[in-house]
Amino acid sequence: MSAFGAMVWNGFREARRNRVTVVVGAFAAVVLLSSTLITEVTVATFDRVLTDFGLGMMSLILVFLTIFLSSGLLSREIERRTIFLVVSKPVSRTQFLLARLAGNMLTLAVMMGAMMLIFVSQLLMFQVSIHSTQVVAAVGLWFELLVLTSAGILFSSFTGPAVSAIATTGIYFAGHLASDLYDIANRLDDGSVKTFAKALYYLLPNLERMNFRLHATYALPVDTSTFFSGVGYGLGWAALFTAAAIFIFERRDFR
Amino acid sequence: MNPLSPDAPPIQVRGLSKTYKVGFWFNRTVRALQGLDLEVGAGQIYGLLGPNGAGKSTTIKILMNLVRPSSGNALLFGQPVDKAATRRLVGFLPENPAPYEYLTGREFVTLAGQLCGLSGHELDVRVKEVLGSVEMGAAEKLQIRRYSKGMVQRVALAQALVARPKMLILDEPTSGLDPVGRRQMRDLILAERDRGTTVLFCSHIIPDVEALCDRLAVLVGGRRVREGSVRELLSTQVPTVEMVVEGLPLEQVKSLGVALESTQSLDGRVRVQVPDAQSQKMLSQVLAAGGRVNSLQAAQFSLEQLFMDALKDSGRTTSVGGEINT
Repeated sequence: MSAFGAMVWNGFREARRNRVTVVVGAFAAVVLLSSTLITEVTVATFDRVLTDFGLGMMSLILVFLTIFLSSGLLSREIERRTIFLVVSKPVSRTQFLLARLAGNMLTLAVMMGAMMLIFVSQLLMFQVSIHSTQVVAAVGLWFELLVLTSAGILFSSFTGPAVSAIATTGIYFAGHLASDLYDIANRLDDGSVKTFAKALYYLLPNLERMNFRLHATYALPVDTSTFFSGVGYGLGWAALFTAAAIFIFERRDFR
Repeated sequence: MNPLSPDAPPIQVRGLSKTYKVGFWFNRTVRALQGLDLEVGAGQIYGLLGPNGAGKSTTIKILMNLVRPSSGNALLFGQPVDKAATRRLVGFLPENPAPYEYLTGREFVTLAGQLCGLSGHELDVRVKEVLGSVEMGAAEKLQIRRYSKGMVQRVALAQALVARPKMLILDEPTSGLDPVGRRQMRDLILAERDRGTTVLFCSHIIPDVEALCDRLAVLVGGRRVREGSVRELLSTQVPTVEMVVEGLPLEQVKSLGVALESTQSLDGRVRVQVPDAQSQKMLSQVLAAGGRVNSLQAAQFSLEQLFMDALKDSGRTTSVGGEINT
């Protein structure tokens, strides 16, 4: 295994042996399985509710896990001084950071895969039709998690885990409200406030562009250009956050 | 750019300085290193000796690219320390090492080997060898979180040795070890030197430095105040003679007209240290004053004495270093 591969695998192994990941994974399984109780409270729209509830829960739980894992990805290594024994090896700091990012995304992909298995099993069990937008929604969610992870890594390159977690949570909420901000800006009369609100919109990642859960719920098709522009937009923001994190991390002293 | 040269001096440091910015607004500075020059030749055990805050760990962290120098340069095997490939020839044991606790000892040393480019059968064999050499073979499948401090130190040394480095950089390698562990660590360092490995090690445990080093530098306040082989450094000290005098009070001994290095009153006897050149005069003066000389012997020089002298010469009254400016 290459040095980069070894670091990625180690990141995945760390998350797998972390009690929080295990507890969150178990909790996710219980929550997804409990969605069968919805059969008791729905009449005609059961298939929609099951999809909405399943994808919504997956999103919430994975976002929580993303914020927890990414906000301490670098800062915990620096605080605990575990980083001394890794960056003193013939690997660059950039390689280390990218490997930590890739390890985190691998963990989230495995968690998401497991949740999707439970989700699809339920759909099959209740004979709810399975369509491609449910998978598209999951892929979109993974790219949203990529943006959040890279934001978490950026914050953890210069602050502690708590501040980083708060800031990443802020990015999550602001990112989902960004399109509302743009709409509000368009309705404003005051020119300077309008410009400020629009500037703020462009300074924040619009996470709604990767959110296809509504399409999945109503079985609406997602056209290819919308999907790829959303995914490309997410990749762009992740690259921007990661580049900023590398810039800071390469210049940091590890005392 | 020059290729990595294993024949170049393992360490060359020129005019190295480091100033840390501290405080909430980063408006205060701590000068950890001030124009340090250092050269470590191949195959040596080179010691960095100094009080807390002398700049030993900062020097090592700059060499391992953990800290950026403010000015000056540092080369490993002729190459800048910030080149990742340079570190392929170096094994590093930091002070209070913190390996990943969720890994077993074997997994951690394997990871270290993979980061150095080892793989497959070679990696497996090497991991087994180094874990055996630090006597951790029996505990290799235990998670590191269950290790004692001594076991952590051993497994951290194993990761430093796994890729057969040409140089070892060890920061306080014997701290926290029991006497048996200290002895084993010293034996391992000597065995590595015999294998041809260069060793740079820093410590404030003077007997370790004295027992191991071929050459050493004494750092105080971020500056090098002494440098040389242990023998050279000890030979620069003025030879003295220790004398135990009976039958004369302390005040009378002091007034014999001989420049004394030190005096100590001991239950009716007086122990004095005099420069070797003054010893004959002191002897005759004591006998002339009616006293007796109970014992007379050459005083043993030690690094401790050298260290204390260096500290005194640099104007320090305590061992806490680092120059703070506001």
